[in-house]
Amino acid sequence: MTNMRNLILGAVFLVLLIAVPPLLDLAWQNALVNILIASLFALAFNLLIGQAGLLSFGHAAYFGIGAFAALHLMIAVENGLPFPTPLLPLAGAAAGLTVGLIAGYFATMRSGVYFALVTLAIAELFHSLAPRLEGMFGGEAGIASMRMPWASFTFGSMLSVYYLVLAWVVICGLGLWAYTRTPFGRLTLALRDNEQRVRFLGYNAHASKVIVFAISAMVTGIAGSLLAISNETANYSLFASAVSSQVVLQTFVGGATVFLGPVLGAAAFALFSFLVSDLTRSWVLYQGLIFVLVMLYAPSGIGGVVEHHIRNRKNLDWSRLAGPYLLALAGGLLIAAGVVFLTESASILFGEEYAMARQGANGGLPAYELFGLIWKPLSFVTWTVPAALLAGGGVVLMRARREIGAIWDSKGHGARPAAKSASMGGAA
Amino acid sequence: MNASTTEQAALRLAGVTKSFGPIEVLKGVNLDIRRGERHAVIGPNGAGKSTLFNLISGMFSPSAGEIALNGRSIAGLSPHLINRAGLSRSFQITNIFHRLSVFENLRIGILARHGMRYGLFRPIARMRQVNDETTEVLARVGLEARAHDLAGDLTYSEQRALEIGMTLTTGAEIILLDEPTAGMSREETAQAVDLIRTVTEGKTLLMVEHDMSVVFSLCDRVSVLVYGSILATDTPTGISANRAVQEAYLGEEAA
Ligand SMILES: Nc1ncnc2c1ncn2[C@@H]1O[C@H](COP(=O)(O)OP(=O)(O)OP(=O)(O)O)[C@@H](O)[C@H]1O
Ligand SMILES: [Mg+2]
Repeated sequence: MTNMRNLILGAVFLVLLIAVPPLLDLAWQNALVNILIASLFALAFNLLIGQAGLLSFGHAAYFGIGAFAALHLMIAVENGLPFPTPLLPLAGAAAGLTVGLIAGYFATMRSGVYFALVTLAIAELFHSLAPRLEGMFGGEAGIASMRMPWASFTFGSMLSVYYLVLAWVVICGLGLWAYTRTPFGRLTLALRDNEQRVRFLGYNAHASKVIVFAISAMVTGIAGSLLAISNETANYSLFASAVSSQVVLQTFVGGATVFLGPVLGAAAFALFSFLVSDLTRSWVLYQGLIFVLVMLYAPSGIGGVVEHHIRNRKNLDWSRLAGPYLLALAGGLLIAAGVVFLTESASILFGEEYAMARQGANGGLPAYELFGLIWKPLSFVTWTVPAALLAGGGVVLMRARREIGAIWDSKGHGARPAAKSASMGGAA
Repeated sequence: MNASTTEQAALRLAGVTKSFGPIEVLKGVNLDIRRGERHAVIGPNGAGKSTLFNLISGMFSPSAGEIALNGRSIAGLSPHLINRAGLSRSFQITNIFHRLSVFENLRIGILARHGMRYGLFRPIARMRQVNDETTEVLARVGLEARAHDLAGDLTYSEQRALEIGMTLTTGAEIILLDEPTAGMSREETAQAVDLIRTVTEGKTLLMVEHDMSVVFSLCDRVSVLVYGSILATDTPTGISANRAVQEAYLGEEAA
């Protein structure tokens, strides 16, 4: 029953992904391409942390390798190599797999913090070497190429790139899902749980971890190559630690314990960055804030919370919950508004432009513009607004939390919405 | 017992020594485990019983000495190779996959037995043979009703039964059980003894056991390990009549 429903849900979603983009403008199509790529990257990354229990801080390495590999193949195609454009990501897969096997061999000799540090070091190695290797990574400027037409496809439009990316992301996503259903997929979970016992059951734990790592790197490489196909260029900044940490944040905010959790996180972050990165320079700060809040109040991530609700959907009195949930949303929005106000004010007041304005005002504190209104830095009103937003939001949110908690508890589910996280461990 | 002198021991330890830094925990252990026998190792706390198991099963390599499984040296091999050579062990401190279901805990070993360690191209749900055999082991250790619960949610004695079940799954001929009944009530111990008896039928068993009544009802021979050396090896009756053993170890309990 649930299988059938999931299948239908998935099919509907896929139809939407196919049918809607032609109706969107170029910027949105491009944003969707980035969301899809980020989703695949996060899914591949989560194979390690969510299933094998290995936290990689250097997955930018395999993402970047995949991008450069695809670009080199594209250049070869430009120079006459007969290779079908839709299969370009195979170059990223091969490169990711190869580098993943080698890097994984060393990284997985250790677990925990040491594993994380080795992956970080490997990515840093690429980041520092790439600008110097002209031939392979094109120096600081990077390398560029063009998508060549293939068969009757020209791949000239953003929409055609979108469909190419969509096809690869869906196929790889399904592949990763199928992976969880195979013997090796189940072994991966066992490795996370108790690597020592795996050894005593006749498995070479190190070899197994190398394979998991290489598969993750391979799919990451595919994601990277999709970015290269879409952008037609790449440079060494793909290896930056910001890229590595971005996927960590997305995965944890989305929920590492739920298969589709990382997709939620990646989609949310990629969408937000598309929507607000033009409006604010503090986007990275907001990302960090969101991450901290999720880790504190919903450690199993958005996906974990959603899954917990789905699992308890029959036991919950949704009509009673709706009010408090709306209240919580309102409280959250109030607080968010207060935080945004303060952050943006600070970034204006401590910014260069404002320093110049102050010089113009002979060292005084001129008024500044925010949200279409004029605010005086020394005025009482200016700081009452965010304070009221924060306090009001806090009160509302606390009340909502109390009510929500009471309703959940009265259902005999001691666990609050975010607490449980053992889902992937269940029987297949 | 039909061990002729020409028959090769299932497991042979000769001069096995292990030091942790300056401390010599095992001091030249000699031990022959005959094929098909049930053999207990007893000894006071800290005598080195678990260390002995750790050396045999490949967790540590011995500092000196030889360990042979079916005549083939295994000293210093990795645990997975020793397991594939036909020796499987349980742990004194329950060592299971807490976040996997009971069924999956057992299936991991069954997969290993069938050489499907890296199976990536077929869904596990369709592997009839593997799933049937898992169900079989599940029934043998009496955990059918718990098949789909997380192993971490089992009671202590259920976890101990699972621990034994997992040890069996890889199809090893030689089974090492480290204090399988520790911490169990009288009834639970009796059940565990029955379980161990049936599941080790036709196999070779080496077990660490503190409870002498368990040793008497289950084992053909007993070795006494004291301060890292084997003091004596004999039948249970022989051991309880042994002067040196009484003085060194049983004395307190017998008094
Ligand atoms: N990895 C290790 N490093 C250092 N010392 C160890 C290690 N493992 C065991 N020892 C020491 O070796 C001695 C024997 O330990 P072992 O666990 O083998 O005893 P045991 O006979 O199994 O005892 P018990 O009946 O309590 O299980 C102990 O003094 C212990 O502290
Ligand atoms: Mg012990």
